[in-house]
Amino acid sequence: MARTISRRRFMRNTAIGAVGLTFGPGLLRSWAQEPKTLKLLQWSHFVPSYDTWFNQYCQSWGARNNVKVIVDRISLSDLKSTFAAEVVAGKGHDLVEFISPPSDFEPSVLDLTDVNQEARKRFGEQVAVATKSSYNPFTKKFYGFCHGWTIDPGNYRKSLWEKAGMPEGPRSWDDLLTNGARILKEQGVQAGIGLSQELDSNMAGRGLLWSFDTSIQDAQENVVLDNPKTVEAVKYMADLYRQALTPEVFSWNPASNNQLLLAGRASYILNSISAYRSAQQDVPEIAKDVFFTPALKGPRGTAWVSEHVIYVSVVPKFAREPELAKQFLLDLCANYDQAMWASKLYNTPAYFQTKIPGGDRGYTGLADAKTLRDQFGAWFGNDPFALPGETAGKLKPLQNAEQWSTNVGHPGPANPAIGEIFGTFVIPNMFATVAQGRQSAEDSVKDAATQCRRIFAKWRELKLVVGKG
Amino acid sequence: MKRELRDHEGRLAAVMLLPVVLYIVLLVGFPFLMAFAYSLSNVTVGSPDFRIVGLGNFLAIFADQAFRTALFNTFVFTFCSITVVVVFGHILAELLRQEFRGKWLVRFLLLLPWTTPIALGTIGFLWYFDSLYSPIDWFLRQTGFLGHHDAPLGPRSNLYWLGRPGLAMFAVITVHIWRLLPLAAMIMLAGMNGIPKEIVESARVDGAGYFRRLFEIVLPLLFPVVAVTILFATFFTFTDMTVVWILTKGGPPPNATQVLASLAFLNGIEGGDLAKGAATAIFFFPVLAGLAALVLRLVKKAVVI
Repeated sequence: MARTISRRRFMRNTAIGAVGLTFGPGLLRSWAQEPKTLKLLQWSHFVPSYDTWFNQYCQSWGARNNVKVIVDRISLSDLKSTFAAEVVAGKGHDLVEFISPPSDFEPSVLDLTDVNQEARKRFGEQVAVATKSSYNPFTKKFYGFCHGWTIDPGNYRKSLWEKAGMPEGPRSWDDLLTNGARILKEQGVQAGIGLSQELDSNMAGRGLLWSFDTSIQDAQENVVLDNPKTVEAVKYMADLYRQALTPEVFSWNPASNNQLLLAGRASYILNSISAYRSAQQDVPEIAKDVFFTPALKGPRGTAWVSEHVIYVSVVPKFAREPELAKQFLLDLCANYDQAMWASKLYNTPAYFQTKIPGGDRGYTGLADAKTLRDQFGAWFGNDPFALPGETAGKLKPLQNAEQWSTNVGHPGPANPAIGEIFGTFVIPNMFATVAQGRQSAEDSVKDAATQCRRIFAKWRELKLVVGKG
Repeated sequence: MKRELRDHEGRLAAVMLLPVVLYIVLLVGFPFLMAFAYSLSNVTVGSPDFRIVGLGNFLAIFADQAFRTALFNTFVFTFCSITVVVVFGHILAELLRQEFRGKWLVRFLLLLPWTTPIALGTIGFLWYFDSLYSPIDWFLRQTGFLGHHDAPLGPRSNLYWLGRPGLAMFAVITVHIWRLLPLAAMIMLAGMNGIPKEIVESARVDGAGYFRRLFEIVLPLLFPVVAVTILFATFFTFTDMTVVWILTKGGPPPNATQVLASLAFLNGIEGGDLAKGAATAIFFFPVLAGLAALVLRLVKKAVVI
């Protein structure tokens, strides 16, 4: 049967064909050249100059790679809930950066083993604290990629400690108790170690446990909290509170360290160098009196602190540009000298062997620095941000920080159970109830261990945590 | 003749109600059902996949000391706030019925807390209760009540409002009262204005004093309004976590000011156990629903009488 075509239909098809031939190639070409979009979810950095640099870096990286980079920056407290909502919606950003190990999101994020392997190939070995904060040895999956971390030293006021007979500041937890108490009694200035439901208190409590040779879990992810050494640590903290702290430690928040130090009301705090940087800007006379100690030694000589911040990025399974996200992470590592500089040495690299790119790097160059290790050593040996007239070499005690800094799950990995214990503040509560005289150390440790076991059991059921006890 | 939609009252009512019904179903009903399903599951914050585990989460939260403390605190928080809000709301409403110079300014100032975003207002109160810079502490130091060896409130330079359990709960309740009082006062003022003046005047002529008029005429007539105020304030207080979260995060440790809403957020989001968080959050739904039904029934009865 012969097909007939109406005049109207002929005219319509001809017109469509003509329009297609005229504009089609142009449209295809423009679609092909349309830059891809990479969406990043970031938290507001504690050092504002880092965010300024990061925004500029993203734009120049985007221009080099023909990518439109969108950086959405939200407050730290909203980060987890925002990403949780994106996971449920199955839609959102391509790359999300956390500052504590986001191990509980493992089922919803891509395995970044390939990026981690490639980074190792390009930049050498990653520091242990970074690997332990982004890798689940049970599932053998890198749920995140860690590009950097922040050191958590002790900050002390030299003039106060000099009067107490310790110009070099405390070297052990015992020094802190004995002389911290003396400084409060004789000079009226307290120490500031948080015992509250917040980040810094979580870090301080863990550092104390590890230095007393105990921990929440062992290397095989068994709960080992309830032991005499934990009881010893809890009793120590109660003594420290009664003799050298004030009730403000029970309302501690992430700004309290800065606030107390800048007000001249802290003899010792456990914090990153950010409080000192704030003092340099706002109260120079206090900044000139602030010096640093490495991790304090426990009764048997062990000394650990937790990293203060760990920068772990995840690529969600719903990411539209996962390969771009991975490329971005690798390139960020390659430019970490600038990240360190922009953060005023707040950020420490996860890959110390990274070679420093040539050319103008935007800071006063160090001619003989070939790698980030060299750069780190030089900058921490002679702080480029020191105030005029400030004592040189203040940051030297931090040069070997990777030897006394560890991850929140130490000696095991930062698994989801450790994450939930961290998020629900089991450890600060354990210390605080005894310091307040509400419970005996033995009972408090027992209660905390019971809570930890319950949490571990739940995550074991979900096949994300190994171990038995 | 063709009849239009406006001629069918029943259909018109249904059409006009439809947006509200859709709104409630989509933005209230669906999330509520999700929360209910989550509370019976093993869902975590890291994965939307889950399986139903029955009442395990509810049994787990009952066994949790933090939950029992939060439950107790929620009652204390609600009872204290509501009592003060109702009493002071009534007093304020009485004052605002009187004629005086600058009444508009007082009304304006009274409404300010209600118009201020709660998070912003609470951040302001953080300064009042700050461990170092509290102006209340400064005043107490200046007046000799604090900061020297014979001071009645102690020798320390500060009271540490948010670091001591009793003071922290006082701070949380104070901020909540500050927030709810304007609403309560305005609702009661509207209720008082609705009471016929002739009845009160007749009682006065018959020799009834102020308190007799208050308890035998004004309050019974005001009951429906007071009941609705209590209902609203109870719901706001029971389900609010903003004040607690900003001021204390549930502390001082372990859970001195933790309430059910903040504990649900702590467990569900910060802790990653969405199922436990959901179980904590919806635990009180049946009680609140029952309370709402009871109060509305009493109000209806009072109105009919």
